[in-house]
Amino acid sequence: MPENFRSVSAVWVGLVCLLFYSRLVRVGAAPICTNGQAGCHILSLADLFDRVIQHSARMHGISSDLHSEFEQYFFPSKNHIGRVNRICHTSTILTPNGKENAQRLAREELTEVILKLLVAWRDPLWHFQQSIAHHHDFNNFSSNKALEMSDMVHELRKGVEKVAEKMQMLGIISNSVNSLTSPEALIPSDRAEWRLMKDYVLLYCFRRDSNKVQNYLKILKCRIIPQHEC
Amino acid sequence: MRRAVGSVPLLLMLFFIGHAKETRYSPPGKPKLTSCRSPEKETFTCWWEPGSDGGLPTTYALYYRKENSDAVYECPDYHTAGENSCFFNKNDTSIWVNYNITVVATNALGSNFSDPVDVDVVYIVQPHTPENVTVTVMEDKDGPFLRVSWEPPRKADTRSGWITLIYELRVKLEGEEEWEEHRAGQQKMFNIFSLRSGGMYLVQVRCKPDHGFWSEWSSTTYIKVPDYFPRETSVWILIAVFSAFIFFILTWILNLKSNSVKHCLLPPVPGPKIKGFDKQLLKNGRSEEVFSALVVPGFPPTTSSDCEDLLVEYLEVYTPEEQELILEEGKDLQEGCLKSKGSPSDSDSGRGSCDSHTLLMEKCGEGEGKEEKHQERAQKGKRQQKHQTGWEEGDVSHTREDVLSPDMSEGRVKTWPSVFSPLPQYSSRPLDHQGSLETARQLCLSDSLFPPPSTSSHLSYNAKEGLALGSGQQEFYLGKKQTHPSNPQSQPRWHLQAHSDFNISSMDRKQAASGLQLPGFRSTEYVEVQRVNQEDMVILQPLFSSSCQRDGHLQIGQGEDYSKVKGVDSGNMLLLQREVEVKREEEDGDRYSCDIQDRVTESCYTTSTAASSQVTGKPTSCAGTAMPVQEEMVLAANGYVDAATMLL
Repeated sequence: MPENFRSVSAVWVGLVCLLFYSRLVRVGAAPICTNGQAGCHILSLADLFDRVIQHSARMHGISSDLHSEFEQYFFPSKNHIGRVNRICHTSTILTPNGKENAQRLAREELTEVILKLLVAWRDPLWHFQQSIAHHHDFNNFSSNKALEMSDMVHELRKGVEKVAEKMQMLGIISNSVNSLTSPEALIPSDRAEWRLMKDYVLLYCFRRDSNKVQNYLKILKCRIIPQHEC
Repeated sequence: MRRAVGSVPLLLMLFFIGHAKETRYSPPGKPKLTSCRSPEKETFTCWWEPGSDGGLPTTYALYYRKENSDAVYECPDYHTAGENSCFFNKNDTSIWVNYNITVVATNALGSNFSDPVDVDVVYIVQPHTPENVTVTVMEDKDGPFLRVSWEPPRKADTRSGWITLIYELRVKLEGEEEWEEHRAGQQKMFNIFSLRSGGMYLVQVRCKPDHGFWSEWSSTTYIKVPDYFPRETSVWILIAVFSAFIFFILTWILNLKSNSVKHCLLPPVPGPKIKGFDKQLLKNGRSEEVFSALVVPGFPPTTSSDCEDLLVEYLEVYTPEEQELILEEGKDLQEGCLKSKGSPSDSDSGRGSCDSHTLLMEKCGEGEGKEEKHQERAQKGKRQQKHQTGWEEGDVSHTREDVLSPDMSEGRVKTWPSVFSPLPQYSSRPLDHQGSLETARQLCLSDSLFPPPSTSSHLSYNAKEGLALGSGQQEFYLGKKQTHPSNPQSQPRWHLQAHSDFNISSMDRKQAASGLQLPGFRSTEYVEVQRVNQEDMVILQPLFSSSCQRDGHLQIGQGEDYSKVKGVDSGNMLLLQREVEVKREEEDGDRYSCDIQDRVTESCYTTSTAASSQVTGKPTSCAGTAMPVQEEMVLAANGYVDAATMLL
């Protein structure tokens, strides 16, 4: 009777999985209620902010890992390529580089900066992940990280947009925030050494920008909801 | 001389070094940037390590370039942070901007650049230690606990969310070496449980930004936990379980050893062991039944009994010279009353001597003290009986050989060691002092006095087998005896007493005769009554062990053996049965007392069914007197032996 037993157990496992998945899906699919519609789980702004901040923290961690890995394997000596001109394509975006500067910005502007950054990185990361997967320079672990990173940027942008929506709904910020277009990548080159340089610079730049995003989100949260872990 | 020579180059070297130090100047050595740190992500400081100064005063300058800009700036502040440092204040600090910093050492001869270092302030944050660390003892239902609270370092701006710090604290008991570390996350308060009562604790806290370096540990805070009684339920549960376990183990052991414990604490009270005594009846309280049960219905026996009921006391077989079979009738032997008596001619004192004619008994009343080693049974009423007269013989001229009377015991045969002195009538033969010994062996067979009630006419057997030394005399006594004085004639009892006197020949006799004796010589022989069979036959068995001799003289019983009693005829005559010769075994001379060691087992068959007691007789040992027993086991008997009296 092992066959019977196996089939029965498979059926049970399937049922259990279905149950869990339905639960998960239900939770995940719960939309953020804007008007207090019935059947949706209302997330508070604080919860949203927490989720978004956690997301950004994870994204920054992955980018740091990738960066250090790249630096260790491909640029053992810092001066190997001479002076590296690290010009990030997002340098055109004006971002506050100090606490006073950041606090001087309005909430909407701050939110906009965040969104701009996130938008700007969606395509380059996607390309980066593609190049890693195709050229086999990195190991599987790194390529998985790159893929996760690009997905996370995408998710984070959507999350921040949700937060902005909520804030706008709550009247915290005005409705001036809107979808933005992404700037083009700065150095589109396909030569081998440039590609490598491009990857390194990209990682370097993204690590910094993800840190910016995380920090800006924290500032925003503590400005809007000061009593919550600030 | 040599030492002086060796020291010269050393001196020269020193001179030159010193001189060289003085005269040689060089550009400064390469400085080295050791570290740059920012305490709050708003300012930062860089420290460098100067190289050799080249003997000249050297100045150090720090230059930096910001990212993607070629403008070179010099360090704005060399002093705030101390020696060989550069402090960047808020205005000069840009976060998320890559600084390219270089230190230049310059002296009169030249300058030297250090290696450039890229610094992004975000990644070099190392905050100050947390401040205001307070530890208090709080009380809880489970006991006291420590509440540690602190504040972030003053300069770190966590309120605006600019910097996020995570904290860590560590605790240890005073005197311990290992710290116990706890991550507190972003909270500024922490509880520590499971404290040792009365212990002194040390607490330290430190912090770290989410991407940065750990701060230094704060200064130690001491806190003393007050004494308290641990009310942890887990401890008590453990104790309870453990004690229950021990308790169960003890109970189990006690149960196993209950018997021995009972014996120890409550020693058993000996109860009555009277045969036929029913404890249950006694408990029931009916004394009449109890005592009536004690009464043996068949006792004293009134019905006639077979020969198997006879109690054979002793069997004395006489040689044809004497040919007198004296049977005593109606005389009760005093059990336990046969005493060894010293005859006047008995040189051995303390020896029991048995008269060849009369194995008795009148003298048995004397000298009770010879009784030995036979316990009296309470139930034996016979003890008081001392009937000896029946055993008296006409030839009392002989010195009596006293035989130690055995006690009557329940089915036990007791024998006495008796040593018999040579009878005076055998003085015709010179008896050596050591040579002649009479060894009387008596076998007292007695049956249980109180047989099970079913039996009736139970007799006690008193079989005595006496061995008397007599020269060529064998006496055979067969008699019946009444055991119960109260009914002297109510019940006939058979007492078979087989007594055979044997002459323990003297030395010379021994050496002289190895075979058959002269017709005139009759040697006594030790006979044991084996049993009385169904046809009223007393079966005697010669004692094999009596052949032990000093000199190992092999004695082979030759001739006829008349130790088997065929029966007693109507004329009160004991019929002996001729038997084949019996071989004796040679025994060691050492075992001169082994004639008595011969085991004698006699089973008395009674008419009653139940009481067939086995009588085991202990052979009497020739103790007391270490006279060698020499005897010849030559049997020469007549065809028959007269039975004097037989009570039927």
